[in-house]
Amino acid sequence: MLVATKALRHEGELLLSKSLVLLWQEKIRRLRMIKTIKIKDAVGTKLAHDITEIRPGEFKGAAFHKGHTVCNEDLCRLQKLGKNHLYLIDLEVDEIHENEAAAIMAGALAGKGVDWENDPREGKIGLKANRDGILVVNVAALAAFNMIEEVMCATLHNHTMVKAGELVAATRAIPLIMKRAPIERAAAIAAQGGGVVSVRSLRKEKAGLIITGNEVYHGLIEDRFAPILTRKLIDLGCEVDRISFAPDDTEIIRRAICAHIERGCDLILLSGGMSVDPDDVTRKGIRLAGADEMHYGAAALPGAMFLVAYIGKVPLIGVPACGLHHRTTVLDLVLPRILSGEKIGKKELAFLGHGGLCQDCSECTYPHCAFGKGA
Amino acid sequence: MQDFDMLLKNSAAAHGHLCPGQVVGVRMAMLGCRLIGLDEPTRIDQIKKLIVFVEMDRCTGDAVAYVTGVKLGRRSLKFVDYGIMAATFLNLETNTAFRVISTEEARDLALVYAPEIPEKYPQQLEAYKRMPDSVLFRVQKVRVDISEYDLPGPTRKKVSCSQCGQVVRDNREVVNNSHNLCKPCAQGAYFSEAEEVTWPNMNWTPAQKEQPPVIVADAEIKISNACSHQGTKTRRGIIIK
Repeated sequence: MLVATKALRHEGELLLSKSLVLLWQEKIRRLRMIKTIKIKDAVGTKLAHDITEIRPGEFKGAAFHKGHTVCNEDLCRLQKLGKNHLYLIDLEVDEIHENEAAAIMAGALAGKGVDWENDPREGKIGLKANRDGILVVNVAALAAFNMIEEVMCATLHNHTMVKAGELVAATRAIPLIMKRAPIERAAAIAAQGGGVVSVRSLRKEKAGLIITGNEVYHGLIEDRFAPILTRKLIDLGCEVDRISFAPDDTEIIRRAICAHIERGCDLILLSGGMSVDPDDVTRKGIRLAGADEMHYGAAALPGAMFLVAYIGKVPLIGVPACGLHHRTTVLDLVLPRILSGEKIGKKELAFLGHGGLCQDCSECTYPHCAFGKGA
Repeated sequence: MQDFDMLLKNSAAAHGHLCPGQVVGVRMAMLGCRLIGLDEPTRIDQIKKLIVFVEMDRCTGDAVAYVTGVKLGRRSLKFVDYGIMAATFLNLETNTAFRVISTEEARDLALVYAPEIPEKYPQQLEAYKRMPDSVLFRVQKVRVDISEYDLPGPTRKKVSCSQCGQVVRDNREVVNNSHNLCKPCAQGAYFSEAEEVTWPNMNWTPAQKEQPPVIVADAEIKISNACSHQGTKTRRGIIIK
């Protein structure tokens, strides 16, 4: 036992000294590839990275760019920026500069509908939408990418509506220089499934509206749903083909749905009759019309009694009465996604829950609020 | 090679249960074999080309062994007790080797790859199926200098321990002052207080179809040597201090 204990202790000491050697070797390696020189000796050398200037509330950006040859006139300004030393870089074959790393990562992160320019600023590259549409973020790939040490990418929220030219993501390598292998692995992760960020155009669908309810059908009250839904559809680039009215009668609702499909509608919105009263029969009408997939209930407020169904490839959206009262509801979260070609099912409606609670502000600022941002 | 689902099903059956470690192990083995150019590692023409060094004794290790067909007794499976979720796949024909390491971040990423599953292990299990290889693993190209005494094939060397007489195979002896010693004698062993015993029905052979009953009382087992000193008592009754 004594021998064994000694052997273990010896092994432990050996391991400790080995790890110290490795640390020391790494330190020497870094020292070898980055040299520090005093500012007075820097004239004639090229800057290894952008030098940032920050004037609070006024300016933040590169005062000097990477590759700039330092001249006498620069010394005073550099010192004012707090630079008394500069780095000189001597890259090993397996090392990479932050600008090259940023370009490799940007190329992998950018999916369809996203462009970037190989013009890093302070090591960062911005990724921009090259068309109007909905931003789609591969959240899992983004998380996996950011778990790689020394790289980062930040994006707008998944499913944000964006315009062409709008910044949707940015990436950078954290250190000035790093090993090439982790960057290439990060790029491989980012490229899975066609990039981390992409922008899907919305299809300009031909939509049909069916306003249900005895009270409207029989003229007891004036319909206010059709103008609201029409405005939302037109704002998203759709065309409203026809507006039908139906009483709380499953057969008439069924016939109205079938008529819209026969007219070639790509999308049908139905309002009313989505609740739990005996007169609320819209769901049954949708089923009778041949819906082969139906999801009732969404994890969002307002809009819990929302419905999405499909007859073949035609989506049917059941809009609950909250759509009359609230400016923004679950419809505003889901409709653009459907128009982008996304299939909405149980999972998509369930995942709305995180961030799906509208704060019902006195003045609605959507989309500049948290509503729908967690999905 | 069978497809992933079939490999996982059969590996889990061989291991005893389906768990996240099985998913990682099956995928680790599939990737490792692919990297060293073997598509059917259990087929007769490839089976002798492969050696796998497994660095952990967890569920993953069993899955790697199942998929690759490597075995301890065939000397194609080497257990290296690092406690690291990694295995190295060596092609003896081409002398290429890759070390495949299961990433720690994959555990944290299970939540985003399978968010609809709330329980930890089912979530990991599903997430590890969905993650691409690039997320689940890191890979290193490595050189493995393998001794001829570690290769498959017949025993290459036998010596007897000069202290206890035990035969030691394949160069595992320790030479101390020109004496060959087995490792227990030279370095101490994982066991202690070893005493030779006799036991009931000790002359049983498989020719006797009926198996003798299991021994339920320690009293049935007799220590054959009266000495009770500390140290290792050998079959010759010599006490090693």
